[in-house]
Amino acid sequence: MWTFTSKLPRGVRRLFRLAHTPERALRDIDEEIRNHIELRVAELRARGMSEADAEREALRRFGDTEEFRAWSTRRALRRSRKYAVIEWFADLTQDIGFALRQFRKTPSFTAIAVLTLALGIGANTAIFSVVHHLLLEPLPYPNGNRIVTPMLEDDNGLRTSANRDLVLAWRERTHTIESFAAAVQVNFSIDAEGNVDMTPNARITSSFLPLLGVRPALGRGFTPEEEYPRAHVAMISYERWQREYGGRPDVLGKKVDLDLDTYTIVGVAPAGLAVPMSSNPAPEIWIPMSLDGVGTASSNVPSAFGLLRRDASADAASRELQTIAASLPETAQKRPHVSAMRAQDFLSTRETRSIQVLFAAVGGLLLIACANVANLLLARAAARRRELAVRVALGAGRWRLARQMLTESVLLALAGGILGIAVAWETLKIIVALRPPALEHLAVVRIDPAVLAWSAIISVATGIIFGCFPALVAGARKAVDVLRSETRTGSGGPASRRTRSVLIVVEIAMSLVLLVGAGLLVRSFVELQRMPLGYEPRGLVYTSTILGNRSVKAEVPAMRDAVIERLRSLPGVTGVAVGTLPGEGFTGRGLETEPDASGMPTRIEALSTVFMTPDYFQVAGMHLVAGRLPDPNAMTAEWKEQTLALSPEIVVNQELAKRLWPDGNAIGKRVRQSQGAEGTTPPAPPGMKPYNPWVTVVGVVNDTRMPTLHGDLRWLQVYSLAPPRFGVLPFLIRTQMHGPNVTGMMERAIASADRRIVVRPALSGDVYLRDSLAPTEFAMALLTAFAIIALVLAAVGLYGVIAYSVNQRTREIGVRVALGADPRAVMGLVLGSGIRLAVAGVVMGATAAAGATRVLRSMLYGVGPGDPWTFVVIGVVVGGVAILASWVPARLALRVEPVEALREL
Amino acid sequence: MPRDANDLLHGTLDLLVLKALSWEPMHGYGLSKWIEERTNDELEIADSALYKSLYRLDDAGAISSEWGVSENNRRAKYYSLTARGRQMLRSETATWKRYVAAVSGVLETA
Repeated sequence: MWTFTSKLPRGVRRLFRLAHTPERALRDIDEEIRNHIELRVAELRARGMSEADAEREALRRFGDTEEFRAWSTRRALRRSRKYAVIEWFADLTQDIGFALRQFRKTPSFTAIAVLTLALGIGANTAIFSVVHHLLLEPLPYPNGNRIVTPMLEDDNGLRTSANRDLVLAWRERTHTIESFAAAVQVNFSIDAEGNVDMTPNARITSSFLPLLGVRPALGRGFTPEEEYPRAHVAMISYERWQREYGGRPDVLGKKVDLDLDTYTIVGVAPAGLAVPMSSNPAPEIWIPMSLDGVGTASSNVPSAFGLLRRDASADAASRELQTIAASLPETAQKRPHVSAMRAQDFLSTRETRSIQVLFAAVGGLLLIACANVANLLLARAAARRRELAVRVALGAGRWRLARQMLTESVLLALAGGILGIAVAWETLKIIVALRPPALEHLAVVRIDPAVLAWSAIISVATGIIFGCFPALVAGARKAVDVLRSETRTGSGGPASRRTRSVLIVVEIAMSLVLLVGAGLLVRSFVELQRMPLGYEPRGLVYTSTILGNRSVKAEVPAMRDAVIERLRSLPGVTGVAVGTLPGEGFTGRGLETEPDASGMPTRIEALSTVFMTPDYFQVAGMHLVAGRLPDPNAMTAEWKEQTLALSPEIVVNQELAKRLWPDGNAIGKRVRQSQGAEGTTPPAPPGMKPYNPWVTVVGVVNDTRMPTLHGDLRWLQVYSLAPPRFGVLPFLIRTQMHGPNVTGMMERAIASADRRIVVRPALSGDVYLRDSLAPTEFAMALLTAFAIIALVLAAVGLYGVIAYSVNQRTREIGVRVALGADPRAVMGLVLGSGIRLAVAGVVMGATAAAGATRVLRSMLYGVGPGDPWTFVVIGVVVGGVAILASWVPARLALRVEPVEALREL
Repeated sequence: MPRDANDLLHGTLDLLVLKALSWEPMHGYGLSKWIEERTNDELEIADSALYKSLYRLDDAGAISSEWGVSENNRRAKYYSLTARGRQMLRSETATWKRYVAAVSGVLETA
């Protein structure tokens, strides 16, 4: 009965662009209604009505036409929207299916593309997890990003915690900080018998857990009433609960001993709880304290923490706290600089900069990977021109083709992203293994949901970025032109060729920038290792010990002699002294000179003091430049009773001598421990009289430094004999033995001298040296690795482009050879195009690098950011690799058999 | 589920359309003639309401449409019942009968 049906096979509607547009639907309805009215009129007229009457009657019977039209329009719009979504999904399914078939057909292309992207995305994800962990969300607590600790900074950049009066004043007046908490970490305690308990513990205010935004895993935290007078209640760490109580809930109500006291366990802290921004081991026992620190027996200064209001920034808080501090009479004249520091602010500029540079580097690496895959896709798109042309001829829109291309590239990128997470996992292991001591907490860096979200985002973004090139090229082409110009071996069209050349030049340039950066860091590293240190760290082993508390003070001299005896008898040991490594001295007390002619003393606050025995310099490998060693016989009876007082005769290093007595004569001058700006005597240890006599400088020793980037920074050092009853003693030995066992040997020897001695882990000079070099090595190793990957990718990309063009020009080359062209000329032809790209890339890269390496300045030592040697060497290497990458395919051109090539015509 | 008056009216018309199409596929005009004949023109349904009902049922998947050629040699849309429409017709008929019985019961006893 009807001839034409609307029941079309699937896909035909799309093929013929019979979209469900609202206009079409409304036209259909119009036709249907017109037909209806006509039939009605015909029928009425057949019943004998006049034409005009019949029309009027038909319209009347139809009803409200206006209302009907409005209703139909609404419906048509609704339907078209619905169909648009359905079609979009149908198209997507079709595109994905098509893309997967394409990938199956070209497995090697797919594998190379996915691997390249996995490298780029993996490196990016790994570094992002570092950035996320260190710079974005360094504290693993719900309120982590709003936690600050107010620090006072003096003119020398020395940071100290705020005292209790200041914290109380802040709490009173602040509008930027929601709440305050305080914590004191205590790493060991000594009981009346001199036994040392190494259980790390902490005192916290009741506001501590709420401030972090965490709750006890079991039981409760502390109440404000328990702060002062301190209630004998405690929380134990989750880890201790698991280890010692097997995670049983009946732990609540049990007793725990600490510091001569017994506490009742009322709660279990959440897993992993530690004092924020502290590098100390996580406390195992938590007991209460009050914010003003009253009743805190420990002499440690509490760290104060503030929770920023949601609408306040750390900078705003710093300004406000500064203003409040300046208004207090007792702090006003000191004019300290207050900063509300977040965890990430504790990283040095250099550490932050290394992370930023690495992040930028992996960004560059990812772009290179993108460019490479874009090139692969462009080459493939050229090979698929016929297929694309046929699809255009059959009615596929350009947008549809572009979308198909984009679907393919996003799918590739997602596959690369998934594999990239595996790459990131492995890369992170390497990063964690290489981590410098300053970035110790990198050990717990992990791939968390935020990091996964990041890799998903960059995967899709890269898919779109590199997919754009072939999509644009595919979309821009007219089907007719393609079909008309179609020959057996198309060259991909000038636009596509140009795009590929530009991409390659950018790749080469970018890898050159990365390599120059890496090269500068390598040079810095070499320079650092050559730096004269002023002492010989190789062969030194150092450890600090606690010989016991006040109760065993009388025994300390004997214990010390016993330790020295044991150490001397160790095999391979050539020297034993009391003292730290030169850079590990005791900081905290300054020096002041006797008033000079103008009646003013010279004061220096930021210096470090090494307590030692006279043979220290010889063991460390230092030498006196003037004067003599301090004489142990000059000891006074009063001094012998002290623990942290300077000996009657001391030695200073050259830099300190120069600062205190610029006229050059330090020997015989008198100094004493600084009275501080406000004229107070340094606090005496509990139970002792303040003691701060004038002491005489008898010698000047050479300067020492650490092999860090701040090597030019001069240390100010005081060397004093260690008082005989000084119970916290460092020991230094020089040994001919090497290897990891020397530290254990030293620790065991000391422990065997007296069982009461607590020995800290020993540190060998080699490890110390390595740790000092670690931050530079860390940045250098990673940047070099990324730069080399970048260069390899760029070389592979260049190889691909040249090889492809040789392949495309087989016929041309065949004709040339057949006509008698010199093979070398043919090779030069091919090589020439590669060299042009290489040179353009090197020039562009060198220009970019000249600007970009300036950000490295704070990470360099002994070499400038524009170091010409580095630029020349890297330029030659990159150029060489690029030429090699085009030489290989150029040789293929020579093997073209003219007959073969011509037959293809 | 409670219904409002509008639903009820639409429901009645939809039921008639479903019933008509259960006989054979027909176009809109044929459908209006069919209903006029069966109801002796007692209802005098506006054609626009009929078409709305058709489109509504089409959207609901109860009927499907195909272009064909009408008696006057014009392109016309022919509507036929789908499996879903047949099922809807059965259940709606039952509902209608209960409804009529309920309303009649009220009218006769009150």
